[in-house]
Amino acid sequence: MESNTQRSGEPAEQSQDTGLSGAKDPELAKLSRAQLLELNQKFLEETGLETRERALISQRLPMTVLRGEYDGAPTFVRRIDWLESKGYKTVRRSRGDGDCFYRCTSIAFAYVEKVLNAPDVALAVASALSTLEATLPLLKAAGFEPMVYEDFYEVFRSVIEQIVTPDAATGERLTPDILLEAFQEPQASNSIVVYLRLLTSAQIRAAEDDYSAFLFHPDTGEPMGVREFCESFVEAIGREADHVQITALARALKVNVRIAYLDGRGSGDAVEFVEFQNRIDGLESDSSGSNAVVLLYRPGHYDILET
Amino acid sequence: MAAIAPRRLTKELKELTMGECPAGVQLLQSADFETWVLSLEVLGESLYKGEVFALRFRFEPQYPIASPEVTFIVDDKFKAPIHPHVYSNGHICASILGHEWSPVLGVASVCITLQSMLASCKKRERPPDNDRYVRTAPASPKKSRFHYDDDTV
Repeated sequence: MESNTQRSGEPAEQSQDTGLSGAKDPELAKLSRAQLLELNQKFLEETGLETRERALISQRLPMTVLRGEYDGAPTFVRRIDWLESKGYKTVRRSRGDGDCFYRCTSIAFAYVEKVLNAPDVALAVASALSTLEATLPLLKAAGFEPMVYEDFYEVFRSVIEQIVTPDAATGERLTPDILLEAFQEPQASNSIVVYLRLLTSAQIRAAEDDYSAFLFHPDTGEPMGVREFCESFVEAIGREADHVQITALARALKVNVRIAYLDGRGSGDAVEFVEFQNRIDGLESDSSGSNAVVLLYRPGHYDILET
Repeated sequence: MAAIAPRRLTKELKELTMGECPAGVQLLQSADFETWVLSLEVLGESLYKGEVFALRFRFEPQYPIASPEVTFIVDDKFKAPIHPHVYSNGHICASILGHEWSPVLGVASVCITLQSMLASCKKRERPPDNDRYVRTAPASPKKSRFHYDDDTV
């Protein structure tokens, strides 16, 4: 089942290790990846690190908040320090309650924020809107009825449009605060996430040959057909996304995604990054010279890293 | 922002009333965007030939992101079909109403799935844990944690 991680074009070794305290425990080693994710989720819930009350997306938080969670795990602390030394000074936490699409939400939020902060905002918005509009035929080609996606599309489109065009009801343009508010409101946030799920599914269905060799059941590791995989693990609410889904979504949105894997893999203090490269026009490069959306992965969960 | 359920349900209602209702399905009640009732029968040869059932859909404001609550109506007029995935209180154990729900589905596709679930049934019987489940079942089947163990019946 690990073969799907090669989609990224990143030669780095992808260990089976999911990072639950190194997951070298023989008992843990027997569990499937999905079981490990569930266990990790349960752990987060039990330790009160993850609650229903947490905002879907948080304010920027200093890296010390992250570091504080790894008291007694010096390897993780050193790696968080390493990230900070590379210019990642803040993290936005996303809620991981298993019901919401935190991973996709992270991508969506970070994406809109990139557009909002672009040096040439008008160009970035126009480019994002035309990319988004071009996704509609893809959804149609995948066989989705317009009824299924148009309301969700409209929510996403209007958030991006509001960056340059004041909202009709409020007369306000999108500011970082309004963006955060929009993504903390479950209905808007989840609508965008649903649109991105449908788009991911449509992208996989449209480029079936590119993906079909990498579709595996997350629990059993058995190969799966495109349609079955998309229905059960892309479109269905609350299902985790893996490399296949991230690759497809990044490609459909023409966005570069870098993911820092803080999951106990590898050795040394450096954090391994996996890149999902696509083209973006008009978006600002960060201090590392990349214009990518940067996410922080911990087993079963994604947050946003910002400089 | 305005609730998403009325927007989607308005479109579904239009489709259902404009002649795109699946064969064997009839809209009995759709006065609001909270509860709809549809009758359902299995056309062609099946163990349920000639029987008419009724389904109650309950929608939350988050529909279709949240799944609808779907049950067979059990009253003076209607009974729940005797099927290994249908409890005598009308609760249905179907993965698409639980963890496999997606906003791609809707009222019509749920009806079609349930028709096909009935049509392919080989033996009229209740789920093995029917009595225990019905004794302790929550009012809404969405609060039950079903174990989806068999896709073949």
